[in-house]
Amino acid sequence: MFLPGLFLFLAGALFFALAPRKGLNYLYLLYAAGSGAMGFSAAGALLHADAPAPAPAFSFRISPVLAMGFQGGPLQMFFVLVLAILAASVSLYSVGYMRKSQGPRAHGILYGLFVLSMGAVFLSGDALSFLVSWEAMSLVSYFLVVSETESDHARSAGLTYATMTHIGTSFIIAAFMLAYRASGSLNFSGMAAGLAGKSVALKSVIFVLAFIGFGTKAGVVPLHIWLPRAHPAAPSNVSALMSGVMIKAGIYGILLVCLGVLGGNVAWWGIAVLAAGGVSSVLGVLYALMEHDLKRLLAYHSVENIGIILLGTGAAILFYSFGQTALAGLALAAALYHTMNHAIFKGLLFLGAGSVANQTHTKNMEEMGGLIKKMPATGLFFLAGSTAICALPPFNGFVSEWLTFQSLILGSATPWAYSKVISLLGAAALALTGALAAACFVKAFGISFLGLPRSERAAEAKEAGLPMTAAMGFLAILCLLLGIAPGIFFRLVRGMPFGGFGEVGAGPGLTAIVSGPASPVSVASGFSSFWPAAICVVLLAGSALALLLAKAARRKTSYAPAWDCGIKALSPRMQYTATAFTKPLRIIFKTVYMPRKELKISYNLKPLFVRSLAYHSDITPFFETYIYGPFLALVGKAAMRIRNLQSGSLNLYLGYIMLTLIGLLLMWA
Amino acid sequence: MPLVKRWIEVYPVTDFISIGMLLSVVAMSSIRRVESSLKAYVINSWLLAGLVAAFAVWLSIPHLYAAAFFIIAGKCVLIPFFLRKIIRELKVAREAEPYVSTPVALIICFALVVLVYSFISEGVFVAGAAKTVLKVSVSIILISLFTMITRRKAVTQVMGLLFMENGLFLAGFSLTYGMPTLIELGVLFDMLMGVMILGLFLTQIKKSFVSVDLDKLTNLKG
Repeated sequence: MFLPGLFLFLAGALFFALAPRKGLNYLYLLYAAGSGAMGFSAAGALLHADAPAPAPAFSFRISPVLAMGFQGGPLQMFFVLVLAILAASVSLYSVGYMRKSQGPRAHGILYGLFVLSMGAVFLSGDALSFLVSWEAMSLVSYFLVVSETESDHARSAGLTYATMTHIGTSFIIAAFMLAYRASGSLNFSGMAAGLAGKSVALKSVIFVLAFIGFGTKAGVVPLHIWLPRAHPAAPSNVSALMSGVMIKAGIYGILLVCLGVLGGNVAWWGIAVLAAGGVSSVLGVLYALMEHDLKRLLAYHSVENIGIILLGTGAAILFYSFGQTALAGLALAAALYHTMNHAIFKGLLFLGAGSVANQTHTKNMEEMGGLIKKMPATGLFFLAGSTAICALPPFNGFVSEWLTFQSLILGSATPWAYSKVISLLGAAALALTGALAAACFVKAFGISFLGLPRSERAAEAKEAGLPMTAAMGFLAILCLLLGIAPGIFFRLVRGMPFGGFGEVGAGPGLTAIVSGPASPVSVASGFSSFWPAAICVVLLAGSALALLLAKAARRKTSYAPAWDCGIKALSPRMQYTATAFTKPLRIIFKTVYMPRKELKISYNLKPLFVRSLAYHSDITPFFETYIYGPFLALVGKAAMRIRNLQSGSLNLYLGYIMLTLIGLLLMWA
Repeated sequence: MPLVKRWIEVYPVTDFISIGMLLSVVAMSSIRRVESSLKAYVINSWLLAGLVAAFAVWLSIPHLYAAAFFIIAGKCVLIPFFLRKIIRELKVAREAEPYVSTPVALIICFALVVLVYSFISEGVFVAGAAKTVLKVSVSIILISLFTMITRRKAVTQVMGLLFMENGLFLAGFSLTYGMPTLIELGVLFDMLMGVMILGLFLTQIKKSFVSVDLDKLTNLKG
């Protein structure tokens, strides 16, 4: 099924180039079908992972010494499955979303290439094909980011993204070159074998380089600054794929290099990943709280969720370095579960935001409101996604965050005092993150979908078309399904010696967690357990009961106008705003936000007769102001200095040449 | 013929010729009239051809005769012919005011020659007549480069470039006793083309900037 999927994608891209303009948006169905085929083949390979399944492996030579190889182990197949699930639904969504688009042809071709390049990244078997696919993915996504509008804003967002991703790639290249020099092999398994006996210092250098490089793509704080810029600028279907899958390529890279190539047996690597995860999750959600642009908010939540995934990954590396493979398997399963879940619910949320933005022509939630009445299906699915991202049962985010929690708490089982403290701190960070995320989505959903419309556009919004709602509905159902029946996920990763690299998470440890698809989840042989399906039943029964009670209790209801403090005309502008909602948090986390206020008063007659008031408040963007800003200023200053060399005078240039010549003469003669 | 060979050996003919070339470069660096420096170039090229011919006789290398012939054809006849046309067309009679006065220029030329003579004698393993020739050629390269640095007119720059090419030819010649004829031909052809293109280029510069003063080119900087 894999090759047919690939061919469907290539055919789709070809048709996009050649087909007549009208009805071009239906070609996304080809991509949806292609993704579906790939997904089935990946799921099939995962389900038969215990039997040696024929993974699609092929390589071709590009020169006498260099070959590009592609292959798939279970870890690779898992990421391809995540990609395929999201790409299938996003492609379906695009049929509706791209109907009125300006440049559907270029977008269609780039979109197909984007999905393919991500698949190629996951399936690369050696450093060369990995880097080529990685750069293709980065470049294509850059074009997609700048494709929607021609505004300066989008262009500068694209520039930030391109710069950051190139810095990241240079670190990755450095890591692979170092690994290649030490091991003499470009092939990942060859690298792993060649590096097996090498010094920890060398491996640590490779790890740090790779972690910075992949962390840039994943959006780890403080390398995250491109995310909240690129996502709002990109079309929503692209944002969904970028946030859902592309940043996961960073996670995949960290797993690949750390566990696969380097063997992952150094404890401080795990601690570093854990710390980065904790910081990213807390800061990501804190900044998300202050955002009123729906897509920027979601982008900051991506930073947060990457942090959560890294908490699990770090715990896995930590356990593995101490030889506790069963616990490492649990932590890695938590990380992978959250990877899959985040792809699904964040994809869903971005698609929902896209539908809303399409109807209201704004991304600012202060101009929305009351949308659940105009767009009931979108509202319902957005609510499902919000519940999932807040880690509330019965949705999938709950299960994976619960597993991450468990593995962090079990971190106290490690023999090292530092790692005990750090993993418990990680658990605390996760707890804080969860609570703040809930607050943030109460804001996001409440302000955008509840209440009265705050603008005319919002009042005139209509439900998104069938392909769009169907795609969101599919993802919402998946959220629920993976939340009730985690057994499905564990069946997929069962018997996965993760990535085929090491002994991490060897089969039996995982099968002990869940026995059937909807049976209870229990970790560390009864250390702690819960039953998602039962929770769901209890919740349903509880809500039904509450509804019944409310119906039964509501005997005498009299309707009257709400008290308006004597103002007489209540307007939608008097509703609770997003800024007001988050004010308490802005005060509590003053040290992080460093809020700025500006009040401009102009008087008719000082001091009593005020003509107008202008109030502006925002938060100090810490990383831009204190890290990137000074650094850029420094680079700029150095560049101006160096520019003095370039006077434009031919005589001076000739003088440089002469000085060089004389210098060479003195050196070698 | 054997008699001529003996003469070349007994009287250091090659040294005389190469020192003559060096003097013509020094002359060029202090001459301000553009057509006079073109004459210095012609002299320099004739001396170069003579040197190659002397080596051809002395060492009995037949293909060096051909090289000498091409040098005469290219550097003594064709290139000066084109350059003179360009100079008259552009109406640049004199180098207005070089960055360095003539006495200072002469002192720096002297310093460069001393530098080259003291350093090359130590490290480079070339024996016999070629040793002097190499020193002279490096001096020529440096002096003509120095002249290019100090002049404002584009035409003089071209002149400096041509001198430098003579120096380079000489350096290559002193180390290898003549590259294959084909390569020498190619280099010569390049020079010819270069001069023609530079001529077009200069007239274009004159049209756009009303001057061939190179310091006006700084206006191009963004």
